[in-house]
Amino acid sequence: MDRHEITEIVTTAVVDGLGAEPDEVTPDATLLDDLSAESIDLLDILFRLERALKVKIQAAQLAEYVQGGIPDEEFGDADEIITEKGLAQLLRVMPQIDPDELRGTLKARRVMSLFTVDNLVDLVIHRMAVDAMEAGTPERAEVPA
Amino acid sequence: MTISGQVALVTGGSRGIGAAVCRRLARDGVAVAVNYRSSEGAAKSVVRDIEEHGGRAITVAGDVADAGEVGAMTEQVIRELGGLDILVNNAGVSQDALLYDMAMDAWLDVMRVNFGGVFHCTRAVLPHLMAKGAGAIVNVSSVMGERGWIGESNYAASKGAVNAFTRCAALEAARFGVRVNAVLPGFVPTDLVSALVEGDGGKSIRKQIPARRLGTTEEIADAVRFLAGPESSYMTGSLLTVDGGAAAVLGAGRP
Repeated sequence: MDRHEITEIVTTAVVDGLGAEPDEVTPDATLLDDLSAESIDLLDILFRLERALKVKIQAAQLAEYVQGGIPDEEFGDADEIITEKGLAQLLRVMPQIDPDELRGTLKARRVMSLFTVDNLVDLVIHRMAVDAMEAGTPERAEVPA
Repeated sequence: MTISGQVALVTGGSRGIGAAVCRRLARDGVAVAVNYRSSEGAAKSVVRDIEEHGGRAITVAGDVADAGEVGAMTEQVIRELGGLDILVNNAGVSQDALLYDMAMDAWLDVMRVNFGGVFHCTRAVLPHLMAKGAGAIVNVSSVMGERGWIGESNYAASKGAVNAFTRCAALEAARFGVRVNAVLPGFVPTDLVSALVEGDGGKSIRKQIPARRLGTTEEIADAVRFLAGPESSYMTGSLLTVDGGAAAVLGAGRP
């Protein structure tokens, strides 16, 4: 399955999960800010993806994926402002962000508000690759259990 | 979509209303997991009865008040019956006393089973139903959760909690295709309410019920069956009273 197909499936899941208009759900739309997704909406979207793609993503894994395993105290400083190390990680999973604009102002609790539809596509692709590796070779992973 | 071929877990399924629910669901082709805590013999007898009528059933041991046991029980049902579509939260206890005399921990003992059981089982089963995008949860609550009765303050509070939980869980589960409803039985002669009907054979209670009789476990099971099946597909967050009119009474007046 290529990125284009996965993007279509993710877009459908977001449109259906949010009850949004299809033209609102663009790749660069942020889920929380632009599309006003709430926690139960995210859960709905993730379950739709699980049914459509057999890929299981826990809601808590969204934030873990974005933070990339960096401990809280290294990700943000005492005032919760994201550190240089944190910014570098964010740029890896959300390449659309401008670190210069966010440096010194972005708080940890605001990080998820930058997460876009396209970032979710990346996460799904990442998760599918991890699942395939854990199940053996990619070829074997396609054989139904 | 019919109910036949689905799998149900019925907590407290060995006796009383729970046993009637197991038999009723099995009659319509549902494979039933009969949960029990201490009444293994009675649970096995329900399973045997269902099998003799051509149905499919297993027993599952577990205390609904214990979250760990509930998790293991849920896994067992999915493994042995090949899935799970319906959860009937029926297990319940009572410790009736006047509040004036009630032991300090009598609220917690009742709450752990009556509400804790509903919470634990719903929490354990919900991810499975949500992943499928379908399922029905039926809580066997009580009219006591909406009205008062002398000597049942702890029991009534636990059922009030179940009713509130039913509404909230329904809201959260609805968009995932999972319905959550409750049946609120009135007076049904089971072990649970034996103390209320002993002595005068329930005569004083019957006089307070517009239908002039106690309910049967089968009548409650019919309502559970309705809420568990596709006939109630647009119902969620409902509290369905099955009580011969008992909860509608303001007072026994005369024209």
